[in-house]
Amino acid sequence: MDYSITKFLWTLLGLFIVLNWGMLMSSTMRRIGARVSGRFGIPWYQPWIDLTKLYSLKSQVSHGAMFFLGPVFRLMGGVGIFLFLPIIYGSDHWSNYSFSGDLILILYFQFFGMLGMALGAGEGGHPHSAIGISRGLSQFTTIEVPMTLAVISLAIQYQTLSISDIVAAQQGGFTTWTLWTNPLATAAGMLSLLGAFGHSPFNLVKAPNEIPIGPPTEYHGVFLGVLRTNGAILHVAEAALFMNLFFGGATNWVELIVKTFLIYFWSVFVGTVFPRFRIEQSVRWFLKVPTIIGIIAIIIFL
Amino acid sequence: MVAPIYIIAVALGLAFLLGLLKSSSTNLGSLLMLAGLAFIAFVSGQWLYEFLINGRATEMIFTAGFKPPFSINLRMGMQEALLTTMINAAGLLSGLYLIDTLKKTGINSMTVLLVFVMSLNVIVMTRDIFNLFVFLEISSIATAGLVLLSSKGNAFQAGMKYLIATGIISGLFLIGIIFSYLYAGSLNIDELNAAHIMDIKGGAIAIFIIYVSVILELKPFPANGWGIDVYTAAKPGFSALISSGTATAGLYVAYKLLPLGGETWLPYFTIIGAITFIGSNLMGTRQQNPNRLLGYSSISQVGLLLMILGLSNQLGDNTLFIAFSILISHYAAKAGLFWLSGIVKSQNLEGWAVLRKQPFMLFLFGTFIFALIGFPPFPSFFGKWQLIMELATQENYLWMTLILTGSFIEAIYLFKWLGFAIKLDVPSNIVMKFEWNKYLPVYLMALTLYVIGFYVSPMVEGGAFINYIPLLFVLALFALDFLPVFVKNTISIAGIIYYMVDLFSQLENDLMRQIFAVIFLGGAVLTLMAGYNKKGTRAGFYPMALMMFAGLTGIIEANSMLEFFFSWEIMTAGSYFLIIRGKRSMPHGYSYMLFSIGGAYALLFGFALAYASGLDTTIAALGHITQLTTLAYTLLAVGFMTKTASLGLHIWLPGAHGEAESDVSPMVSAILLKAGVFGLMLLFLYMGTGTEGGDKLLYVLGWVGALTTLVGNLGAVFQEDAKRLLAYSSIGQLGYILFAVSIMTQLGWLAGFTYTINHFMFKAILFLVIGGIVVKLGTHNMYEMGGMIKKMPFSFIAVLISIIVIGGIPPLSGFAGKWLFYHAIIQKGWYFQGAVIFFAGIIAFLYLFKLIHSVFLGQLKDNHRNMKEISPWILIPSYLLIIGIMIFSAFPQKILQPIGEMLSVYFPESLHWEGTKAYTSLGYWDGTTIMIVVMTAFILLLGWLVLMSKKIKKVEQFNIVYAAERPFRPETTHVSYNIYAGYKKAVGFLVTPVVEIFWDSMSALLFDFAGWLRRIYSGNMQNYALHVVLFIVVFYLIALGGL
Amino acid sequence: MEYIILISGFLLVLIGLWGILSQKNLIKIILGFTVFNTGINIVMVTVGYVKGKTAPILDVISPEEALTSIVDPVPQALVLTAIVIGLGVTALMLVYALKLYQDKKTLDINNFKDLKW
Repeated sequence: MDYSITKFLWTLLGLFIVLNWGMLMSSTMRRIGARVSGRFGIPWYQPWIDLTKLYSLKSQVSHGAMFFLGPVFRLMGGVGIFLFLPIIYGSDHWSNYSFSGDLILILYFQFFGMLGMALGAGEGGHPHSAIGISRGLSQFTTIEVPMTLAVISLAIQYQTLSISDIVAAQQGGFTTWTLWTNPLATAAGMLSLLGAFGHSPFNLVKAPNEIPIGPPTEYHGVFLGVLRTNGAILHVAEAALFMNLFFGGATNWVELIVKTFLIYFWSVFVGTVFPRFRIEQSVRWFLKVPTIIGIIAIIIFL
Repeated sequence: MVAPIYIIAVALGLAFLLGLLKSSSTNLGSLLMLAGLAFIAFVSGQWLYEFLINGRATEMIFTAGFKPPFSINLRMGMQEALLTTMINAAGLLSGLYLIDTLKKTGINSMTVLLVFVMSLNVIVMTRDIFNLFVFLEISSIATAGLVLLSSKGNAFQAGMKYLIATGIISGLFLIGIIFSYLYAGSLNIDELNAAHIMDIKGGAIAIFIIYVSVILELKPFPANGWGIDVYTAAKPGFSALISSGTATAGLYVAYKLLPLGGETWLPYFTIIGAITFIGSNLMGTRQQNPNRLLGYSSISQVGLLLMILGLSNQLGDNTLFIAFSILISHYAAKAGLFWLSGIVKSQNLEGWAVLRKQPFMLFLFGTFIFALIGFPPFPSFFGKWQLIMELATQENYLWMTLILTGSFIEAIYLFKWLGFAIKLDVPSNIVMKFEWNKYLPVYLMALTLYVIGFYVSPMVEGGAFINYIPLLFVLALFALDFLPVFVKNTISIAGIIYYMVDLFSQLENDLMRQIFAVIFLGGAVLTLMAGYNKKGTRAGFYPMALMMFAGLTGIIEANSMLEFFFSWEIMTAGSYFLIIRGKRSMPHGYSYMLFSIGGAYALLFGFALAYASGLDTTIAALGHITQLTTLAYTLLAVGFMTKTASLGLHIWLPGAHGEAESDVSPMVSAILLKAGVFGLMLLFLYMGTGTEGGDKLLYVLGWVGALTTLVGNLGAVFQEDAKRLLAYSSIGQLGYILFAVSIMTQLGWLAGFTYTINHFMFKAILFLVIGGIVVKLGTHNMYEMGGMIKKMPFSFIAVLISIIVIGGIPPLSGFAGKWLFYHAIIQKGWYFQGAVIFFAGIIAFLYLFKLIHSVFLGQLKDNHRNMKEISPWILIPSYLLIIGIMIFSAFPQKILQPIGEMLSVYFPESLHWEGTKAYTSLGYWDGTTIMIVVMTAFILLLGWLVLMSKKIKKVEQFNIVYAAERPFRPETTHVSYNIYAGYKKAVGFLVTPVVEIFWDSMSALLFDFAGWLRRIYSGNMQNYALHVVLFIVVFYLIALGGL
Repeated sequence: MEYIILISGFLLVLIGLWGILSQKNLIKIILGFTVFNTGINIVMVTVGYVKGKTAPILDVISPEEALTSIVDPVPQALVLTAIVIGLGVTALMLVYALKLYQDKKTLDINNFKDLKW
């Protein structure tokens, strides 16, 4: 267990790269979305401008201590997933603090940020916050079902829950990827990912037309800056998790960038095509096809 | 030594003397009567003393200077002395109790009472069958006479019905006597018994006639309408005597005559007894009149005793012990209850709530009820235990089942009644007046139960080791009940700590028991601390709480199955009283009790099978059950699962925990539920894996656990009542534990222990804090709360930490459980159960958010603006537990590694440690490192936000961006009620209360059946006479007609 | 001869029972009961009777003869007792009938169903 300063600095550098890549990726995605709807879209550097502006805003209101801590929890959630994820396979520097725990740790650390954010927004007292959170949590319960099944399927396949070991097992070209060796688990996982990333049709939490305000409005200025920072990190970290589980991981940064982009693009692509579900539709949807795929992914190993 | 004949002589002499008195000198008359009753009680008591202490030989008394068959002879032996003492004591106390009534009715009634008691004595002592007949008739006539003590019209009717029915029965008895005399040439019972009438042609008919009349005298179901009416209509003071005295004498008659027919006739006694036991108890379930209810209960107990007589050839030497311990419980409890009924003077069960005005009488009422059902420390507990054990060794499962079923049905109505007394509004129209002559008999009967229970216990194998010290402590607390809470609380806590220190020195090498000792007793201390915030005396709370903890300690200490079961029942009794203390807890305490008793009987059955397998009384017997192995394990598991509230047996929990008092909820939830866990663990350790039936059972239990978790967690999601939400959450958490231990691997059990420890800590915190808030805000409904974070920050932090643990979010200890679960499930191959478990785990977030959001976040209500933080006495134990959680979270290895080592004795080791890092063949986890990483990163990020933040402006409550309208009232802005409407739409079908519907229809079925069946009691005396005749005909057809 | 008496005894028992079970008037029921009792007494005496022997009264015959010539005295003693008891029971029943009549001004037993179920 390496607690040295060097390790810390390397990790910090990794975090910095991931943050910037996350911002670039999000602006790219928004441009793609705009082009699909026939608009020109934002410039690629828009996120940096936004972030600079948010961090330098002078006004800031607070509803209380938990409200203040909410964004910290949220950012910790994103950063934590990054910290516990071996982001580049085979690299000591970029394995981060993944020696703390295996895949299960990451699966459960996701909740850290969600919970803190929910509580922070809750203290704000805005009814839409609570509505959004209740929707998000409801949806999340069933999003996790195919994901859990996929993880179990992987664990049976590889007989390990260590992410490094799962990636190591896929180091033999495309045909050793989980995508190829266990397509059903991959399918279940990737369908679950659609929900986890929260793009349409599963963008119930922010629901741009129904809940236009709530957390994003109550949280402004530096708070929003922190939330945006987290968003960028989280998207890359989560995409990297799926990359490690299903697509052979990455041995260098370029590979990571390409793969995470494609994984993220998958959710944007679906989101651009499909309109939003209602909550009960979304909840039921995950319990149907993705869950059945997940179950079959386990049955084939029995 | 006064010769027994003086019982008759003095009683008869006095009876004649009373007749000579002037009808106005009732005072003298009553004095003489009491003196007479006291004298005969003294005589029989003196003989009992002689037999007990000096071991005197049985004495035969011959009358008229001849030996039988030429004269009537009486016998005074140990049995006779005991029974006559019981009868005479009841007679004396009844005389005392009825003294005012007797004076009012006149001297003649005193004569009749004397003659009645005397006749019962002779019935017990006589060895002459015709003499028996004569005195049976005298007792019948006297009974019919004493029924007239009540001058109500229905008493006349009852007496008439009684006379006609007994007239027919005694006529029949006469025919039987003359025929057996014809065959045996003697009227002496011993000679009749020796004559083998059965072998003579036609002898069977003589035996049949005698038996059917003896049995009919005992009022067998359903030919007993005439008897029930007497119980109902007579003065309760006299009904007590019928129930305790007549029944005792009548049963002894049956016992005396058992050898007459020999073994071939025994099954008929058993069958009729069983029908009576179950049938009468069924009737009891529908009764509203306390005396009639007691009548049914009396008859059912007689049925049970008749069964025992019928089974005497199987019970062997234990018959008398079993019969006596059940008889004495029935005798004392029933007499006490009838006398109480005379004091309460209510024509319906609801009126008994008046007992609350005199808590001591309520205590006695509870004593009698618990004694009837067979709870420890009363004699019936030991009797029933021995009975079931012996039957199991004879592989007599049918009778075991029937006895336990009947007892359960009896509990249904007795506990309903007790619940009424404890919880209903005290009726204002009923006044209980203290009259020493009425209260004293009740006291004495209750005392009898305790004393006899204590003396009877060593007679059961293993009973000598029962630890009565905790119970004495409870008793002391009863005596100190008048003291203020502060003093009693301190005494209780000090006592528990002292005991815990003592206990630990005994448990040195037993980590599992140590852990549960910490949960039970450490938990006791912490939850009791919250009691310091209560005012007044809190009458009755401390003895009951300590009783529960005494039971919990007992199950840890138990070496034998009897000790375990004894403590288990003590715990049940204590927790029942704790649970039912809640304001609206009557139905919940009731259903808790019924499930507990059902579970206890399942355990009893299982223990009996274990005992029968090797005649081993220690708990280790569970390790080698050979009789009906799978059934035994299933029953034991089901028994324990009633306490862990597993699916199907869980419906009592939400109400019981949700409505309990604020510091009782954590006791029963965080602590009591673990008793079931302890039982299951014990069971599974002895059961082991590899047996075919056992493995199937474990597989089923795994699914049950997983589905319990799902149902519990989903149930919690849709609650609006904060405490019920927590209660459902407990169901879910206990489902995890059941699932984990069913896995039967080292990892599974580690997960089980982790969940057990965690659940103990966070559920204690949550129930303490939320309970405190509920009391403070005066509502259970979460949507009426809100914004409490500003008023109660310490409570908020406590709840926050608890829900992080429940959710299993790293870095707190809940994650340890989740991690172990994943690894255990994949290692075991229970993938789909595992998936259900994880699905349920995420559902938990829904209710956790609802809880913390609705109570602490959102909008503060106007009427709560002046709220303050809850009492420090609630926060102190909560924060002590938080320290515990933090230690467990930061250093899981310190706790889990020793547990793992302990478990490696039983299971192959699959979790290894490398410093603070745990790893299995699948993966790894380092709780300490996670804690360091997360804490460091969190502080850095917090620093980052603080650094970036400028002037932060605090804003008012309603200063939120609200599209096109302005928040008007907190109520309209606080989102909480039915917050998961959409989710309910999607998966709400999963929370259809199938199980509740099942149990509801089961109970409806039972009540409807009883309601239908009791129509045979039409009230028409001719019908009752017809029942008697039909009973005779049917019995004849079955016994002799080859049917 | 004894058989005829025995059978008529049993017949009386049955008639008595029939009376108890079918009559609606309390007094008739009590009469039925006495008939029932009488039948039983007859049965008892018959059972104790031995053909051609005399009554067990020592005034009439000498004790030496008694052993061989009297019938068994015990059933007769029993019958005597039973008759006395039957008398007591019947008397008590009649008292009850009186009380019931005073209470409800009727002797029809269908009116005495206050206690049921």
